Amino acid sequence: MAKPKVAFYWCASCGGCEEAVVDLAEDILEVVRAVDIVFWPVALDFKKKDVEQMADGELAVSFINGAIRTEEQEEMVKLLRRKSGLVIAFGSCAHIGGIPGLANFWNRETIFERVYKGVPTMDNPKGVLPQTKTIVDGQELTIPEFWNTVHTLDQVIPVDYYIPGCAPPPDLIMKAINAILEGKLPEKGAVLAPDKSLCDTCPLADSKPEKLMMKEIKRPYEVILDPEKCFLAQGVICLGPATRSGCGERCINAHMPCRGCFGPVKGVKDQGARVLSFVASILGIEGEEQMTDEEVQKLVDQIPDPAGLFYMYSLPSSLLRRKIMK
Amino acid sequence: MREAPKIIVFCCNWSVCPGLQLSTSSTYYGDESLVDPIVTMCSGRVSPELILEALSQGAWGVLVAGCPPGECEHNGNYKARRRVFLLRNLLKQFNIEPERVGLEWFSTGESARLRGAMNDFADKVAELGPIGGKDG
Repeated sequence: MAKPKVAFYWCASCGGCEEAVVDLAEDILEVVRAVDIVFWPVALDFKKKDVEQMADGELAVSFINGAIRTEEQEEMVKLLRRKSGLVIAFGSCAHIGGIPGLANFWNRETIFERVYKGVPTMDNPKGVLPQTKTIVDGQELTIPEFWNTVHTLDQVIPVDYYIPGCAPPPDLIMKAINAILEGKLPEKGAVLAPDKSLCDTCPLADSKPEKLMMKEIKRPYEVILDPEKCFLAQGVICLGPATRSGCGERCINAHMPCRGCFGPVKGVKDQGARVLSFVASILGIEGEEQMTDEEVQKLVDQIPDPAGLFYMYSLPSSLLRRKIMK
Repeated sequence: MREAPKIIVFCCNWSVCPGLQLSTSSTYYGDESLVDPIVTMCSGRVSPELILEALSQGAWGVLVAGCPPGECEHNGNYKARRRVFLLRNLLKQFNIEPERVGLEWFSTGESARLRGAMNDFADKVAELGPIGGKDG
């Protein structure tokens, strides 16, 4: 029997998701025993035309990482969608927008101004900005259009399943691959990770007081943290209560608070709003009856960049999706 | 006549909602737009997600109406205050005017003031117009 054909593709991403596939280590041998990898630009020399020549649905699965922010990425994922039985959004950027999604606090114009004119290391006396078409020696050169807004994969094509994480951990990848090979996938649209919140599985959970309260907010660099104690109990914002588990608590074990790369728990539309909700709930409970509006304002003003922190990985998938440019 | 603003009011079942039922008319703001308040069991139950959902679906403003300090049995009003204040800070970063999210306190017997406060909020939001920008 012919082995199922599999593609890996990357869009707006850092390459960490590709690394995550390599991090399967010897397990990758098991994977290639079971499937044929027929398209993987970062590792194998197949071209777009090879995909175009395939029959529709010929690819069993495409694992696509990265957010979508250019015309070319849109074209490629639409092509892969047509050729694939299953499309899996692989990693935070494809799933919820990821770090590239923070560009939704700007737009093409402001990003180009900064990158091609503003940064101190840029030498661009004529102020040239990227153009989609340029004539060089009578020849027309083209590059893809850069969008104002970064999108998640499922805002551009239908997605069957999601493997979350920045980057997805090897155990989740292997579980997902085995579920596909054994035909044991859950309902369409599922995130292939536990439905619990990170707080539920956190190794510091036992140190979390029954009633969490924050008197003031500290940023990690401002305080020497007790590695055995819940971050929230130490006044440091951790996104664990509003983030899906399954990451292996990698940040917590490295003594850093969660920043939300696994996205919201099941049923939640807006991860950042959930973070805002619990932070505001536990901040300044003590003496709340006596507080004036001005004092409450001061309390919440301790968070210098709430949007950037609460939506660190999920801005494109949020209800507001982007900043309004005026 | 200018366009009537689209406003969502989340009101507390125990203080604001009885007041609304006592008020003489359920219409307000030039009798053009009808307020269908969404009743919640406590202002502390109004999650920021609901407010953002309303704003993302076309509401020009959202008013959270709860019991005055000292009058909520669950202290949910203090929680609502902190959430609204933090949400306003966050909305500024999206270039959305923080005044679009209102917070008002009403006691059970304040049906007259209720109508006035809603009108004032509607006036303020009408001034701002719908949320929007060139890259919306």
